[in-house]
Amino acid sequence: MGVNLRDLVPRTTVKLEDLSGKSIAIDAYNALYQFLAIIRQPDGTPLKDSSGRITSHLSGLLYRTSNLVEMGIKPIYVFDGTPPALKEVEIKRRMKAKEEALVKYEQALKAGRIEEARMYAQATSRLKDYMAEDSKKLLDLMGIPWVQAPSEGEAQAAHLVKRGDADYCASQDYDSLLFGAPRLVRNVTISGRRKLPGKNVYIEVVPEIVELEKVLKECGITYEQLVDIGILIGTDFNPEGVKGLGPKTALKLIKEHGSIEKALPLLKNASFPVAPQKIREIFLHPKVTNNYKIEWVEPDVEGVIAFICGERDFSEDRVRKALGRMRKGITKLKGRTTLERWFG
Amino acid sequence: MFQLKMSDTKLLKDMITAISILVDEATFKIEPETIKLRAMDPSRVAMVDFQWPKTVFEEYACTEPSKMCINISEMLKLLKRAGRDEVVELSLDEKTRKLQLKITGKYTRTFTMPTLEASEEEVPTPKLTFNVKAKTTTNGLSQAIEDAQLVSDHVKIEADPEKLVLNAAGDLMGATITLQKGSDTLLDLEVKEPSKATFSLSYLSEIIKTASATSDIATLEFSTDMPIKIDFQQAKEGKLTFYLAPRIETE
Repeated sequence: MGVNLRDLVPRTTVKLEDLSGKSIAIDAYNALYQFLAIIRQPDGTPLKDSSGRITSHLSGLLYRTSNLVEMGIKPIYVFDGTPPALKEVEIKRRMKAKEEALVKYEQALKAGRIEEARMYAQATSRLKDYMAEDSKKLLDLMGIPWVQAPSEGEAQAAHLVKRGDADYCASQDYDSLLFGAPRLVRNVTISGRRKLPGKNVYIEVVPEIVELEKVLKECGITYEQLVDIGILIGTDFNPEGVKGLGPKTALKLIKEHGSIEKALPLLKNASFPVAPQKIREIFLHPKVTNNYKIEWVEPDVEGVIAFICGERDFSEDRVRKALGRMRKGITKLKGRTTLERWFG
Repeated sequence: MFQLKMSDTKLLKDMITAISILVDEATFKIEPETIKLRAMDPSRVAMVDFQWPKTVFEEYACTEPSKMCINISEMLKLLKRAGRDEVVELSLDEKTRKLQLKITGKYTRTFTMPTLEASEEEVPTPKLTFNVKAKTTTNGLSQAIEDAQLVSDHVKIEADPEKLVLNAAGDLMGATITLQKGSDTLLDLEVKEPSKATFSLSYLSEIIKTASATSDIATLEFSTDMPIKIDFQQAKEGKLTFYLAPRIETE
């Protein structure tokens, strides 16, 4: 779910091509969930190989990544590690929601309500361990770097941007801002024409850039205060937030009083699963690692084919075409410099 | 507050078109004596540096320096409505922050368009020392680039005291284009040190094609593995210069 900062955050829309030459740390689980939710047959059945293994995530990963590389974007996938203990409530809530969706999916399917079945099916998406393993294997073969986070992937992605090892974090959630990411780009993994859930309406999804410094300037707050606002609205570690408190009121409260501690006495109904200071600590000092290597290499075409065509029944023709486009992007970018190098 | 009037609508359109190939939104600095713009494309591979003194205009009034950011493709759509012998007037309404574009000639139309939040970023000038200075006709240069584009998406430009050579190598085909010093295309060549650098043809051709509409003579300056500076000499006063970062093969 993540924190809902949408109303507070100034965004600049860009074209995917504008990100050419930039490296982007993509929240892998966030992207894989999107692939699992979106890449389905009309009745909601995910893509499967001949032995029944789900392959929606591999399809998304292959085609989306090759699109990005073709545009000259350099992706880095960041995988979640062990979630912080505080996330338990949220994880249980998600599991329950998925179980409920599964029941509704089966009911809709039985009744022949295909549209509805698809909608519920999307909400049942589960990321199994083998899917993460599959994905890492595919990325290795494609020559795309990935980083294993010790804990939250978004925290690790933010860390990469802070250290200058990536230009942007990519996620649909705003949590990376709370983890201190200087630059976030949304809609990278889903941009293009998208169907609105449950409706027969298509919209054009375009990437948008959010800069932490701009957010803070526009709101007139410090980074620590943004984290406090997030906690008041609700994060993965206290999904409920403070009941009845929206982003705008939370901003006003923190601006007036300075911090959660000072604002709390005014919020009679506020309750937190743990002390808000503990949640704040996760954002301000997340568990991250410097133990990673980021390197893009030429794709191992035959290796990719042996894996996803040989073992997972992908069409060889389409896979070769996708990898061909990827190579074009790599050649285009080879040796490219920017003027910034000569600004002295 | 500012207001200007321009009767050379073709030049105005061509100039805005040349700027539009690098940026969607353009922040103009409007000063009492000049209007200028310096901007990079989003990938930061190329830069445009533009300046027009007030003498280029029939009328030019600017009381105090300000910045104005506009969506340049929207502006071009409006400008395209102006015929060759018509007159364009631009003025900014300080209160509404709207730009008014008035075209008069066969009849009069007044368009308004919003201005955007001006970029705070000051684009610096790249620090470069050049070993080669080549003066070419824009027509000849465009042709040479078009030749190279047939076979590749990048081109190596090499200079020695006698000539300028463009080498394009594609996957299958290749092209060598030689411009001899003193020829109809290469009007002048000064080489302190033989130099070579490689550039993206998509950037080069867009820049040269559009900027050539405003100018007959282009001056190229470069050094080995450094950005190239291309200055398009303006018939009246004013400046239109592009910088383009190189491709460095070892990276």
